[in-house]
Amino acid sequence: MAKVQVLNVAVLDNPSPFGNPFQFEITFECMEDLPEDLEWKIIYVGSAESEEYDQVLDSVLVGPVPAGRHMFVFQADAPNTGLIPESDAVGVTVVLITCTYRGQEFIRIGYYVNNEYTDPELRENPPLKPDYTQLLRNILASNPRVTRFHINWEGSADKMEDCENVDPSPNISGMLPPSCIPGKMPPLGLMPDNSMDCM
Amino acid sequence: MKLLKPSWVSHNGKPIFSVDIHPDGTKFATGGQGEDSGKVMIWNMAPVLRDEDEKNENIPKMLCQMDNHLACVNCVRWSNNGLYLASGGDDKLVMVWKRAAFIGPSTVFGSSSKLANVEQWRCVTILRNHTGDVMDVAWSPHDVWLASCSVDNTIVIWNARKFPEMVTCLRGHTGLVKGLTWDPVGKYVASQADDHSLRVWRTMDWQMEANITKPFSECGGTTHVLRLSWSPDGQYLVSAHAMNNSGPTAQIVERGGWKTNMDFVGHRKAVTVVKFNPKIFKKKQKNGSAPKPGCPYCCCAVGSKDRSLSVWLTSLKRPLVVIHDLFDKSIMDISWTLTGLGMLVCSMDGTVAYLDFSLDELGDPLNEEEKNSIHQNIYGKSLAITSTEAQLSTTIIENPEMLKYQQERQSSAQLGPSSAGPEASAPKLNSVMNGESLEDIRKNLLKKQVETRTPDGRRRITPLCIAQLDTGDFSPALFNSAPILPSGSSMSNQLTSQLSSDSSPGPASSLGLRPGHDPMLTSPPAGAATKGPEDNKDGAKSGLLLTSASKIEPMKALDSRFTERSKATPGVTATISSIAGLVPLDSRPKDGGGVSAPKDVKAKDDTSSDSEDKMASINKNLSFSKRKPELLMDGDGVVEKRKKGRPRKDKMAAPMAQPFMQMTPPAEREPSRVAAPPAALKLPTPSIKKAFSLQVSMEPSVFLEVENEVSLIAGSKLSQLRCSRDGRDWNTLLPSSVVTAAGSSDVLAVACQDRMLSVFSSCGRRLLPAIQLATPASALHCSAHFVMALTAGATLSVWDVHKQKALVKNESLLSILSGADTTVSQSLLTQQGVPVIGLSNGKCYCFSSSLETWTLIADKGDSMVQCADFRSCLPTHDAPVSSGPLAVMQGRNLNAGRLASRLSSTPHHLQQSMTLAFLENQLASALTLQSAQEYRYWLLIYARFLVNEGSEHRLRELCQELLGPVHKSAATAWEPTTLGLRKRELLREVLPVIVENLRFQRLFTEYQDQLELLRNK
Repeated sequence: MAKVQVLNVAVLDNPSPFGNPFQFEITFECMEDLPEDLEWKIIYVGSAESEEYDQVLDSVLVGPVPAGRHMFVFQADAPNTGLIPESDAVGVTVVLITCTYRGQEFIRIGYYVNNEYTDPELRENPPLKPDYTQLLRNILASNPRVTRFHINWEGSADKMEDCENVDPSPNISGMLPPSCIPGKMPPLGLMPDNSMDCM
Repeated sequence: MKLLKPSWVSHNGKPIFSVDIHPDGTKFATGGQGEDSGKVMIWNMAPVLRDEDEKNENIPKMLCQMDNHLACVNCVRWSNNGLYLASGGDDKLVMVWKRAAFIGPSTVFGSSSKLANVEQWRCVTILRNHTGDVMDVAWSPHDVWLASCSVDNTIVIWNARKFPEMVTCLRGHTGLVKGLTWDPVGKYVASQADDHSLRVWRTMDWQMEANITKPFSECGGTTHVLRLSWSPDGQYLVSAHAMNNSGPTAQIVERGGWKTNMDFVGHRKAVTVVKFNPKIFKKKQKNGSAPKPGCPYCCCAVGSKDRSLSVWLTSLKRPLVVIHDLFDKSIMDISWTLTGLGMLVCSMDGTVAYLDFSLDELGDPLNEEEKNSIHQNIYGKSLAITSTEAQLSTTIIENPEMLKYQQERQSSAQLGPSSAGPEASAPKLNSVMNGESLEDIRKNLLKKQVETRTPDGRRRITPLCIAQLDTGDFSPALFNSAPILPSGSSMSNQLTSQLSSDSSPGPASSLGLRPGHDPMLTSPPAGAATKGPEDNKDGAKSGLLLTSASKIEPMKALDSRFTERSKATPGVTATISSIAGLVPLDSRPKDGGGVSAPKDVKAKDDTSSDSEDKMASINKNLSFSKRKPELLMDGDGVVEKRKKGRPRKDKMAAPMAQPFMQMTPPAEREPSRVAAPPAALKLPTPSIKKAFSLQVSMEPSVFLEVENEVSLIAGSKLSQLRCSRDGRDWNTLLPSSVVTAAGSSDVLAVACQDRMLSVFSSCGRRLLPAIQLATPASALHCSAHFVMALTAGATLSVWDVHKQKALVKNESLLSILSGADTTVSQSLLTQQGVPVIGLSNGKCYCFSSSLETWTLIADKGDSMVQCADFRSCLPTHDAPVSSGPLAVMQGRNLNAGRLASRLSSTPHHLQQSMTLAFLENQLASALTLQSAQEYRYWLLIYARFLVNEGSEHRLRELCQELLGPVHKSAATAWEPTTLGLRKRELLREVLPVIVENLRFQRLFTEYQDQLELLRNK
């Protein structure tokens, strides 16, 4: 069972102009102290047609996470309009909040997002080149779509319950130089707080 | 009999695999398939029982739903005390749930159903051990153990007092184990499996008592479950799916001899579940008629794959009632109310049925006393063999002495901190809110939350802890002010959403997460037109899309994005790219176009349920890169294991041990006795000082002053030894410079440069003629009337000055000084004249004059010391831990051992063995050191440990050794004392320890009686 349960996500500042940052207030509960940080990401789907246009708006580490109920606000800048196909700027798309632990995604919360012109005239006759300043972003906050994934919370190979169902990434850590703490990736840097578990 | 099918008890049409009524009869749990997970639901019993409650909308029907299980839930069972609910599922897990005190509604975030949880049940433990689907779980009588069985062919017994501790794993079945039942007496647990066998296991030693195969040999096909049941009087065990003359039966197995002579016949298909009524009945007394003696009987319900249910009384040859066509599919589980008159049945078709019987139909249930008297008649007085203290209350105490100890113990326990146990250890909520309402916190959360940057520039948010919990006992004040409501929307419309969904009995029948299926009573605040739920039933998307109907097509593509696992986390990317150096990868990480994210690899997960076409192609691309890591993984298994296994502990241990070795430099501890700086082979000698003084003893206070070369007489240098004892001085002259001196309250010894050793009484009288040492003295010790000399030639001598006799004669240290760098770091002489040598390698030896050999008494590098954990066995009142030579030599290392054991998670059985070995070492060492108090101290700890861990053989041997032969005979070699302690007195101290585990009450009685006998002699 997942050690972290997301209890609630409140969408703040919604609806709002397209250029406003996204704000999600996330409440989660943790069954036991987590030795490592959670990584949260907001992904904006630029186009339904292709993942190519997905933008990771931001990613944050959240920690330390002791057992208990926690909340934080995840704020991320609006998507880079230059990376959105013009034909997909107006209309319905999706924003995703994902959380990973030890490099494994265990929850994905999706919201439909409707981008519309507020001005009725623009709505009738949308300009060829989208005018982002006039767009209103409306996240369908009442209808989150939550998908949970089974991951290996322990990060060790022999405790794995379901080999075929688990992302292979935690095992890859075995290939790191032995000095590395399993599951921690050098490019992310070693978090000094976590060296406690060596004691 | 009344029959009711409450249609509202449903898992949205998904199969319900298990049902169980709470012992207090107010609620029941169901388990089964959820939408994309397993589901456990808790329901209110009142609307089932009473029509008016069912109609009253203010009375909630569903109390709680939990979809934490990742796959179908096969079994739900309440503990006998009603505090816990255990559930087992296809995700191989057993979860144990406990109710959280927080009263208020909440839903599972993201769940399509808007029904609120009225009660909060929270998973308190997850039991992981099974490698396959868990099919059945069962609490033992008195909730001592929880048993779970699985398709991995095993049964696991969990310690229900100390979750997640595992007691044992019962192996023997060669097929999927699909049902479990405990003997109501607590002596056995029975299991039935697909391997055509029913096995009975003893709880005493967890060995197999019986393997019953004959009634099952004909069984073909399989059933989903094989829930067998034990009758409440313990006399009969009734199996699921058995065959008799090619007809499906429920086999009755008699407790006596496990005979299989009877069965319940009549079902047309395999029996899936048998459930005995918890009550024992006797014939209903007719008004006016004379009371008939009538034998008590049991009542049993049998459910089958043929969708019918039969209820039997053991006093009747034919079933009391058979109900056909109650369900559309196989019956999966049955649960009786504790009153014995109600029964819930669930089926694969996703419905449940409630049956209500009257006393006229079943008979008069015996009350608990009558039931107990039946038990007593059949099983005698001491029924259950207990293994935990918590079960004491139910065990009969056979001995008044024992009772006395028990009562003393209980009264002292009441004074002290509350006893252990899951209830007592339930953590309390520590609110961090400081009176600030959650509302205020939420307003300022963004500003207030701590955000830092990691060294590589990434944002790191420290989340605000709003409740510290383990069991989730939230303070109502905290959450009533601003309840955290479901479906993350902004606060204002959250409230309305909650209210409206509560008041409307919404269809809530949606299977998937398709948005339109939900009653969209809340308008998206965009000002878009709101449509009622009936409007958007068919056009699933229309309710949402409103103004952008043209976009329906892309939505399908978008939908898939909700369930796919994200392309890659930077973590994965990082590792994969780091391997890329080793293994050339075809699919180099593609640039995800992310703003801040590193390069992404399209690492899709195969598990995501509805992956679409384009994913498949990506997966193909990926297959190469995914394979590689897996291949590599095998090779690296070793590395991985090493990291987790022992070496890590050793690494831990090493830095632990070192500081302590440094912290006990000999000079600091006993300045007078030690002098041993490093040397290669021979031991160093102290340098000659012009003058020195030392305090030899505190009580009486004895000071020694040495002044070398005070005068020259006839060419020889004289040295003066001056001693002050309680103010009285004496002095003497020695012909050579004094190198080292030592003393005790009885004797004084000085070693001179000319290798002469002189021994004086405390009043200055020379006791021995000068002893010629072979090599210069390295260290000198006196203790009581013993003198010990360690020479530079690494030999050791000890003399008993009173008896004028050598205890140790020029014994070489070479046998213990192995290795070039090893040297003596500490030496001492005990009050009993036992020499102890501590070496720089952390080992510590004493020379046993009776064995005439060196014995190892302490080894700081010994992992046993690091891992032994006997904290639970420490005497609480004995505040001064143990003081004596053993403690001096082992030093604070022992504490380190306990610390280490807390940090490293050694498997319990391993730790148990290590602790046992360690304690036995301590005992033997104390014996060799002739340290009586330490011997007694460790003996009691050892006894307590044996008692706690239940090793009867060792305990018995120990008691026997302490008791000795009851009848004197000339031939016995038994010594009545050890180290001056009377063994039988020690036994008298050990016996109260034994009482603590009632399992050993026979042992206690046996030795208590013998001691009494001896005392009266």
